[in-house]
Amino acid sequence: MFVAVPLSWYLLLGAALFCVGVYGVLANRNLILIIMSIELMLNAVVLNLVAFARYIEPARVTGKTFAIVVYATAAAEAALGLALVIAIWRAENTVAVDEMDLLQG
Amino acid sequence: MSVGQLTFLAFAAFTLGAAVRVVTHRLVFHAALWLIASFFGIAAVYLLLESPFMAGVQLFIYIGGVAVLTAIAVMVTKGMMRRDLPTMANVRSSALVAVSLFLVMSWTILQMPLPEAPASPVFEEGLAMLGMALVDPRGYLLPFEVVSLMLLIVLIGALYVARER
Repeated sequence: MFVAVPLSWYLLLGAALFCVGVYGVLANRNLILIIMSIELMLNAVVLNLVAFARYIEPARVTGKTFAIVVYATAAAEAALGLALVIAIWRAENTVAVDEMDLLQG
Repeated sequence: MSVGQLTFLAFAAFTLGAAVRVVTHRLVFHAALWLIASFFGIAAVYLLLESPFMAGVQLFIYIGGVAVLTAIAVMVTKGMMRRDLPTMANVRSSALVAVSLFLVMSWTILQMPLPEAPASPVFEEGLAMLGMALVDPRGYLLPFEVVSLMLLIVLIGALYVARER
Protein backbone atom coordinates (compact mmCIF):
# COMPACT_ATOMS: atom_id res chain seq x y z
CA MET A 1 0.00 0.00 0.00
CA PHE A 2 1.28 3.44 -0.95
CA VAL A 3 1.85 5.77 2.00
CA ALA A 4 2.18 9.41 1.04
CA VAL A 5 4.78 11.78 2.46
CA PRO A 6 3.15 13.94 5.17
CA LEU A 7 3.12 17.69 4.55
CA SER A 8 5.06 18.28 7.78
CA TRP A 9 8.14 16.55 6.28
CA TYR A 10 8.31 19.12 3.48
CA LEU A 11 7.88 21.94 6.00
CA LEU A 12 10.64 20.48 8.19
CA LEU A 13 12.95 20.28 5.15
CA GLY A 14 12.12 23.92 4.36
CA ALA A 15 12.78 24.96 7.97
CA ALA A 16 16.11 23.12 8.02
CA LEU A 17 17.20 24.71 4.72
CA PHE A 18 16.18 28.13 6.00
CA CYS A 19 18.23 27.66 9.18
CA VAL A 20 21.27 26.54 7.18
CA GLY A 21 20.88 29.81 5.26
CA VAL A 22 20.59 31.78 8.50
CA TYR A 23 23.81 30.18 9.73
CA GLY A 24 25.52 31.06 6.44
CA VAL A 25 24.44 34.71 6.65
CA LEU A 26 25.61 35.05 10.26
CA ALA A 27 28.86 33.07 10.12
CA ASN A 28 30.40 34.08 6.80
CA ARG A 29 32.46 37.17 6.19
CA ASN A 30 32.42 36.82 2.40
CA LEU A 31 29.65 38.87 0.78
CA ILE A 32 29.22 36.39 -2.10
CA LEU A 33 28.69 33.51 0.37
CA ILE A 34 26.15 35.64 2.23
CA ILE A 35 24.21 36.19 -1.03
CA MET A 36 24.33 32.43 -1.69
CA SER A 37 22.93 31.80 1.80
CA ILE A 38 20.10 34.26 1.16
CA GLU A 39 19.30 32.33 -2.03
CA LEU A 40 19.11 29.13 0.05
CA MET A 41 16.67 30.82 2.44
CA LEU A 42 14.47 32.05 -0.45
CA ASN A 43 14.51 28.54 -1.90
CA ALA A 44 13.31 27.13 1.42
CA VAL A 45 10.39 29.60 1.40
CA VAL A 46 9.42 28.64 -2.17
CA LEU A 47 9.58 24.96 -1.19
CA ASN A 48 7.03 25.68 1.54
CA LEU A 49 4.78 27.53 -0.94
CA VAL A 50 4.86 24.70 -3.49
CA ALA A 51 4.23 22.06 -0.80
CA PHE A 52 1.25 23.99 0.57
CA ALA A 53 -0.09 24.51 -2.98
CA ARG A 54 0.04 20.75 -3.59
CA TYR A 55 -1.41 19.62 -0.23
CA ILE A 56 -4.00 22.28 0.63
CA GLU A 57 -5.40 23.61 -2.65
CA PRO A 58 -4.31 21.60 -5.69
CA ALA A 59 -7.18 22.96 -7.83
CA ARG A 60 -6.14 26.61 -7.45
CA VAL A 61 -3.08 28.59 -8.51
CA THR A 62 -2.43 30.97 -5.61
CA GLY A 63 0.56 29.08 -4.20
CA LYS A 64 2.34 28.79 -7.53
CA THR A 65 1.70 32.46 -8.39
CA PHE A 66 3.30 33.38 -5.08
CA ALA A 67 6.23 31.08 -5.87
CA ILE A 68 6.74 32.72 -9.29
CA VAL A 69 6.75 36.22 -7.76
CA VAL A 70 9.32 35.07 -5.16
CA TYR A 71 11.44 33.60 -7.97
CA ALA A 72 11.47 36.89 -9.89
CA THR A 73 12.35 38.78 -6.72
CA ALA A 74 15.14 36.32 -5.91
CA ALA A 75 16.60 36.71 -9.40
CA ALA A 76 16.49 40.50 -9.05
CA GLU A 77 18.10 40.29 -5.62
CA ALA A 78 20.91 38.08 -6.90
CA ALA A 79 21.61 40.34 -9.89
CA LEU A 80 21.66 43.56 -7.87
CA GLY A 81 23.58 42.00 -4.96
CA LEU A 82 26.31 40.62 -7.18
CA ALA A 83 26.52 43.93 -9.09
CA LEU A 84 27.09 45.63 -5.71
CA VAL A 85 29.75 43.03 -4.86
CA ILE A 86 31.60 43.81 -8.10
CA ALA A 87 31.28 47.58 -7.57
CA ILE A 88 32.59 47.31 -4.00
CA TRP A 89 35.39 45.03 -5.11
CA ARG A 90 36.46 47.61 -7.72
CA ALA A 91 36.46 50.39 -5.11
CA GLU A 92 37.84 48.60 -2.04
CA ASN A 93 39.43 45.41 -3.42
CA THR A 94 37.67 43.27 -0.82
CA VAL A 95 34.41 41.35 -0.41
CA ALA A 96 34.73 40.80 3.35
CA VAL A 97 31.74 42.44 4.99
CA ASP A 98 33.67 43.82 7.99
CA GLU A 99 36.25 45.53 5.78
CA MET A 100 33.67 47.62 3.91
CA ASP A 101 33.63 51.15 5.29
CA LEU A 102 32.73 53.25 2.22
CA LEU A 103 29.64 54.69 3.91
CA GLN A 104 31.32 55.40 7.23
CA GLY A 105 31.56 59.11 7.94
CA MET B 1 8.16 3.44 5.15
CA SER B 2 6.98 3.51 1.56
CA VAL B 3 9.05 4.03 -1.56
CA GLY B 4 7.84 7.64 -1.82
CA GLN B 5 8.91 8.41 1.72
CA LEU B 6 12.34 6.81 1.23
CA THR B 7 12.81 8.79 -2.02
CA PHE B 8 11.85 11.98 -0.22
CA LEU B 9 14.30 11.27 2.61
CA ALA B 10 17.10 10.57 0.13
CA PHE B 11 16.50 13.83 -1.79
CA ALA B 12 16.09 15.80 1.45
CA ALA B 13 19.37 14.43 2.84
CA PHE B 14 21.15 15.27 -0.43
CA THR B 15 19.74 18.82 -0.49
CA LEU B 16 20.54 19.50 3.15
CA GLY B 17 24.02 18.02 2.91
CA ALA B 18 24.82 20.16 -0.13
CA ALA B 19 23.40 23.24 1.64
CA VAL B 20 25.59 22.60 4.69
CA ARG B 21 28.62 22.28 2.40
CA VAL B 22 27.71 25.67 0.85
CA VAL B 23 27.85 27.51 4.16
CA THR B 24 30.86 25.67 5.64
CA HIS B 25 33.21 25.36 2.66
CA ARG B 26 36.44 27.32 2.78
CA LEU B 27 36.70 27.76 -1.00
CA VAL B 28 34.03 30.08 -2.37
CA PHE B 29 33.99 28.51 -5.83
CA HIS B 30 33.39 25.03 -4.38
CA ALA B 31 30.58 26.53 -2.31
CA ALA B 32 29.01 27.83 -5.55
CA LEU B 33 29.18 24.32 -7.04
CA TRP B 34 27.56 22.82 -3.91
CA LEU B 35 24.87 25.50 -4.23
CA ILE B 36 24.06 24.14 -7.71
CA ALA B 37 23.84 20.61 -6.22
CA SER B 38 21.47 21.86 -3.54
CA PHE B 39 19.25 23.55 -6.17
CA PHE B 40 19.14 20.24 -8.08
CA GLY B 41 17.96 18.49 -4.92
CA ILE B 42 15.16 21.01 -4.46
CA ALA B 43 14.10 20.55 -8.10
CA ALA B 44 13.88 16.79 -7.41
CA VAL B 45 11.70 17.50 -4.36
CA TYR B 46 9.40 19.57 -6.62
CA LEU B 47 9.08 16.52 -8.89
CA LEU B 48 8.03 14.48 -5.81
CA LEU B 49 5.40 17.19 -5.21
CA GLU B 50 4.11 16.50 -8.76
CA SER B 51 4.98 20.05 -9.86
CA PRO B 52 7.19 19.50 -12.93
CA PHE B 53 6.67 23.11 -14.01
CA MET B 54 8.18 24.41 -10.75
CA ALA B 55 11.05 21.91 -11.13
CA GLY B 56 11.76 23.29 -14.61
CA VAL B 57 11.58 26.88 -13.38
CA GLN B 58 13.97 25.95 -10.58
CA LEU B 59 16.46 24.52 -13.11
CA PHE B 60 16.18 27.51 -15.48
CA ILE B 61 16.17 30.40 -13.00
CA TYR B 62 18.26 29.09 -10.12
CA ILE B 63 20.81 26.85 -11.82
CA GLY B 64 20.81 28.57 -15.22
CA GLY B 65 20.65 32.09 -13.82
CA VAL B 66 21.44 32.65 -10.16
CA ALA B 67 24.07 29.94 -9.62
CA VAL B 68 25.93 30.73 -12.84
CA LEU B 69 25.84 34.46 -11.99
CA THR B 70 27.27 33.63 -8.56
CA ALA B 71 30.03 31.48 -10.06
CA ILE B 72 30.95 34.33 -12.43
CA ALA B 73 31.02 36.80 -9.55
CA VAL B 74 33.36 34.47 -7.65
CA MET B 75 35.68 34.31 -10.66
CA VAL B 76 35.64 38.09 -11.25
CA THR B 77 36.55 38.86 -7.64
CA LYS B 78 39.38 36.34 -7.39
CA GLY B 79 41.75 36.70 -4.46
CA MET B 80 39.29 39.01 -2.75
CA MET B 81 39.53 37.80 0.84
CA ARG B 82 42.63 39.12 2.55
CA ARG B 83 44.70 36.15 3.50
CA ASP B 84 45.46 36.97 7.13
CA LEU B 85 41.81 36.92 8.19
CA PRO B 86 39.58 33.84 8.61
CA THR B 87 36.60 33.38 6.28
CA MET B 88 34.30 32.60 9.20
CA ALA B 89 33.35 34.72 12.18
CA ASN B 90 31.15 33.93 15.21
CA VAL B 91 30.78 30.27 14.23
CA ARG B 92 29.48 29.12 17.62
CA SER B 93 26.93 31.88 18.23
CA SER B 94 25.69 31.65 14.61
CA ALA B 95 25.21 27.90 14.96
CA LEU B 96 23.38 28.45 18.24
CA VAL B 97 21.01 30.97 16.61
CA ALA B 98 20.36 28.68 13.61
CA VAL B 99 19.78 25.54 15.70
CA SER B 100 17.45 27.26 18.16
CA LEU B 101 15.51 28.82 15.26
CA PHE B 102 15.15 25.36 13.73
CA LEU B 103 13.96 23.90 17.04
CA VAL B 104 11.29 26.61 17.41
CA MET B 105 10.15 26.16 13.78
CA SER B 106 10.02 22.35 13.93
CA TRP B 107 8.15 22.44 17.25
CA THR B 108 5.59 24.79 15.67
CA ILE B 109 5.28 22.61 12.56
CA LEU B 110 4.78 19.44 14.62
CA GLN B 111 2.10 21.18 16.71
CA MET B 112 0.00 22.13 13.67
CA PRO B 113 -2.73 19.81 12.34
CA LEU B 114 -1.32 19.26 8.84
CA PRO B 115 -2.64 16.88 6.16
CA GLU B 116 -0.92 13.50 5.93
CA ALA B 117 -1.51 13.16 2.18
CA PRO B 118 -2.23 15.50 -0.77
CA ALA B 119 -5.79 16.79 -0.89
CA SER B 120 -6.70 15.24 -4.25
CA PRO B 121 -4.96 13.85 -7.33
CA VAL B 122 -2.98 16.46 -9.22
CA PHE B 123 -5.12 18.74 -11.38
CA GLU B 124 -4.58 18.10 -15.10
CA GLU B 125 -5.23 21.67 -16.32
CA GLY B 126 -3.26 23.24 -13.44
CA LEU B 127 -0.54 24.69 -15.68
CA ALA B 128 -3.03 26.16 -18.16
CA MET B 129 -4.95 27.69 -15.24
CA LEU B 130 -1.72 29.18 -13.90
CA GLY B 131 -0.98 30.76 -17.26
CA MET B 132 -4.52 32.14 -17.56
CA ALA B 133 -4.44 33.54 -14.00
CA LEU B 134 -1.19 35.40 -14.72
CA VAL B 135 -2.75 37.36 -17.63
CA ASP B 136 -6.27 37.71 -16.20
CA PRO B 137 -7.09 41.23 -14.89
CA ARG B 138 -9.33 39.62 -12.25
CA GLY B 139 -6.52 37.16 -11.44
CA TYR B 140 -2.88 38.04 -10.89
CA LEU B 141 -2.18 40.36 -13.84
CA LEU B 142 -1.18 43.35 -11.66
CA PRO B 143 1.40 41.53 -9.45
CA PHE B 144 2.77 39.79 -12.55
CA GLU B 145 3.29 43.09 -14.41
CA VAL B 146 4.67 44.84 -11.32
CA VAL B 147 7.22 42.10 -10.77
CA SER B 148 8.24 42.13 -14.46
CA LEU B 149 8.75 45.89 -14.31
CA MET B 150 10.74 45.53 -11.08
CA LEU B 151 12.95 42.86 -12.67
CA LEU B 152 13.63 45.12 -15.69
CA ILE B 153 14.48 48.13 -13.50
CA VAL B 154 16.70 46.04 -11.23
CA LEU B 155 18.62 44.54 -14.15
CA ILE B 156 19.25 47.98 -15.68
CA GLY B 157 20.25 49.26 -12.24
CA ALA B 158 22.61 46.31 -11.76
CA LEU B 159 24.30 47.11 -15.09
CA TYR B 160 24.65 50.75 -14.00
CA VAL B 161 26.06 49.84 -10.57
CA ALA B 162 28.59 47.29 -11.88
CA ARG B 163 29.77 49.35 -14.89
CA GLU B 164 33.43 50.25 -15.45
CA ARG B 165 34.08 53.78 -14.25
